[in-house]
Amino acid sequence: MAIVAQSTRYGKVTRTILAWAVGLLFFFPIFWLVLTSFKTDADAVKPEFLFFFTPTLENYLNMTENYDYWRFATNSIITSIFATVFTLAVGIPCAYAMAFNPSRATKDVLMWMLSTKMLPAAAVLYPMTFLTKNFLGIYDTHFLVIIVLSLINLPIVVWMLFTYFKEIPKDIIEAGKMDGVNTWGEIREILIPLAWGGIASTALLCFIFCWNEAYWTVRLTTTEAATLSKLIEGNRAPEGLFFGRLSAVSAAAVGPIVVLGWFCQKQLVQGLTFGAVK
Amino acid sequence: MGRIVLENVTKSFGDVEVIPPLDLTIEDGEFAVFVGPSGCGKSTLLRLIAGLEELTSGSVSIDEEDVTLVPPSKRGLAMVFQSYALYPHMSVRKNIAFPLRMSKMEQSEIDQRVEAAAQSLNLIDYLDHKPGQLSGGQRQRVAIGRAIVREPAAFLFDEPLSNLDAALRVGMRLEIGELHNRLKTTMVYVTHDQVEAMTMADKIVVLQAGVIEQVGSPLELYRTPRNIFVAGFIGSPKMNFIEGDEAAKHGAKTIGVRPEHISVSDSQGEWSGVVGVSEHLGSDTFFHIHETGLAETMTVRADGEVGFKHGDRVFLTPRADAIHKFDDKGLRI
Amino acid sequence: MSNRTLPRLLQSPAVILLLIWMIVPLSMTLYFSFIRYVLNNLRRPEWTTPSFSNWRGFGNYEFVLNNKDFIFAIQNSLLIVGSILFFTVIFGVLIAVLINQSFPGRGIVRVLLISPFFVMPAVNAVLWINMILDPVLGLQGIAVNGLNDIIVGLKDAPLVGWFFSLWPTLEPISFRATQTSAYAVIIMVTWQWTPFAVLIFMTSLQSEDQQQKEAAVLDGAGPWSQFRFLTLPHLGRPIAIVVMIQAIFHLSLYAEIEIVSRGNGNKNLPYLIGEFANNNIGAASATGIFAVILANIVAIFLLRMIGKTLME
Repeated sequence: MAIVAQSTRYGKVTRTILAWAVGLLFFFPIFWLVLTSFKTDADAVKPEFLFFFTPTLENYLNMTENYDYWRFATNSIITSIFATVFTLAVGIPCAYAMAFNPSRATKDVLMWMLSTKMLPAAAVLYPMTFLTKNFLGIYDTHFLVIIVLSLINLPIVVWMLFTYFKEIPKDIIEAGKMDGVNTWGEIREILIPLAWGGIASTALLCFIFCWNEAYWTVRLTTTEAATLSKLIEGNRAPEGLFFGRLSAVSAAAVGPIVVLGWFCQKQLVQGLTFGAVK
Repeated sequence: MGRIVLENVTKSFGDVEVIPPLDLTIEDGEFAVFVGPSGCGKSTLLRLIAGLEELTSGSVSIDEEDVTLVPPSKRGLAMVFQSYALYPHMSVRKNIAFPLRMSKMEQSEIDQRVEAAAQSLNLIDYLDHKPGQLSGGQRQRVAIGRAIVREPAAFLFDEPLSNLDAALRVGMRLEIGELHNRLKTTMVYVTHDQVEAMTMADKIVVLQAGVIEQVGSPLELYRTPRNIFVAGFIGSPKMNFIEGDEAAKHGAKTIGVRPEHISVSDSQGEWSGVVGVSEHLGSDTFFHIHETGLAETMTVRADGEVGFKHGDRVFLTPRADAIHKFDDKGLRI
Repeated sequence: MSNRTLPRLLQSPAVILLLIWMIVPLSMTLYFSFIRYVLNNLRRPEWTTPSFSNWRGFGNYEFVLNNKDFIFAIQNSLLIVGSILFFTVIFGVLIAVLINQSFPGRGIVRVLLISPFFVMPAVNAVLWINMILDPVLGLQGIAVNGLNDIIVGLKDAPLVGWFFSLWPTLEPISFRATQTSAYAVIIMVTWQWTPFAVLIFMTSLQSEDQQQKEAAVLDGAGPWSQFRFLTLPHLGRPIAIVVMIQAIFHLSLYAEIEIVSRGNGNKNLPYLIGEFANNNIGAASATGIFAVILANIVAIFLLRMIGKTLME
């Protein structure tokens, strides 16, 4: 590339150093969290920049005892997995129909779906509490959390799948029709194998959003179905007393997701901009 | 068996009527070609037969059975697409076997048929390749293989050769012709290339703006085009059209003479003009003649050895029995 | 079956679910916003159950509009959202341009950079307010103390000590007061969302026409002119999208505010709704309707913008 050739060697070194500095700076808080999680609570609250210390696994080993971590983690895993599966089960047929049998209303339906995503959650907080607590009796159940997580992620999932499906040539689906496949067969035999990569990254992103959700999961649960968001929110350290153990439980809450996130960072653009940036 | 009858078929997309009421019968075992300029509705017509588009009104029947409301998968037709539409995630073997698997056929029977099809299409060595590893011609053959294993009532081809390069196209044209001779199954073939239509068809259906301009055998269309559109569309190079006094002499609004029905001489003839561009093909030479006072340019065919130069004055004589006459509505007189 | 019925059937579960999700709670909110409805009231127990006989008309709206917390919450919401947008876009463009060209370890830097985006909001808030911004135990406090120590040391140093003798002792900033905790929220959310902006701008930069740039180089354009006249206009649309998407997410910011500012007076619209909802449901619902209106204004812009590119 001519543009690169133009920049001097000196400029390239500066650029490299600067880029690394920025990357490390942004990652530093996460690194610090993980570092602190290996400190004893006493070390963690020392008002000094403690870089070298005797690491301990105690915080991780005592996570269950201190915070009942696994109960919340299990809830997070259950609700996120089921919500993702449910969202895909509803989203795939919908996106399939929109991509391969678009009608004049399709665009409007997609737009409207997005607009539900923009509805501020707080505005309907009380009705949701009221309905689920007094009316349906599903407050603080896994079922409720799964449904709510599915509904808030459904628009994004449909959108992402729609953009992936649109890239599949229509001819192939029609060839399937001519070869005697019914609709279910088209989805199972042709669509899903072909769009596998797209579906997987959509699922991954949906899972991450479910895991990190911090409004409904906090407000619609108390103990039974409470997720990690609720755990952290309820245990923000009283004046730094337990930094070490809090760091450990926080790191355990975000670690898996950050790693998953690395795998689907590219799909994020497609998902969150609804395909408007390519 | 595969007799396809369209009765009073119409198709509209929204308010736009792309096919006004149309009747057409394709006899069993016939090779029918739909030909016309792009946007003439020929692909839509094919997709109506396939069931991939819904009729706005009218009916389609195959072998006397009304299939208007039958979904494409149940019509017993096979289709070869312009883009081949192979399933990229399946091997060649699985691609060809797919329609059989969908019809719940015995595995041993499937294997046998796939093997036979691959044999006849020279695909035996590629059965375990994925479509992405094949050349354009091979992909085309896989698509055909996928169509023939089902032993359909009729084959539908949607511009199957237009993604191939010129040399391959001629070869595939022959292969499809061979296939038809061997199977004797009805084939409906869509193309915008009149050469393909002429060389392959038993019956050509010329379409313009959704309307059938003429139906007939290739030679019928060549010899007696029903109107100016068909006359101009069939034949290569295109027929020369002359209007005005010269046409009036023959009692017509327009007369047409094919380039191959005009003789050219340096000394005498009915018309005269100046040689512009000459295209030497070896066997033939095409001269583009200007300043004839009849039409802007006239094309004539001469023997390959004839050597007029740019700027030479030449004389042209049409073959009297090959002058096509059209009235003011463009219809043949 | 007709070609049309099946697609509709396949879409209907998603559409119906979302329709219920949107209409049922929202119409309840609308209803509650027009009646007197509180959770506890000993003198007027009839107000504790929703009923048309407690009709209040626009009374709740009036009450909310006259509440000084409401105006403050709106101001604060706008301050927080506006600042986050400003910083994420500026940092996003700069970083995207910086790492768009290849350099050793680019893949790793990319991964490091994007990580904050996947941190759950609750952890983000706990991490920043306790371990980084805390004036005593956080890195901020530690860094300020370190600087003070250096200055003190320099004051005692021979030769140059006189120069430093008048330097002040630095005070660490507490991020737990009403307004400073809003700044803390801005900092932590900017940290989390700058990677998102970087990712989008980078994707867009990849599609920049390289030949156009080469033509500009031949035309004598320097790096700054290239950036100003080619890159920046190219980024116009992604910037608009980043602004809109973030606006929607941040207008409903909740976990960070909840953790950083409980009880210290810092609030935004969702937080205020939560406060009202502890007792005065009517007022909470009216505030909710205001929030919906605010979000809709933003949403209309976004939908207009992406609607065009949608079906191509």
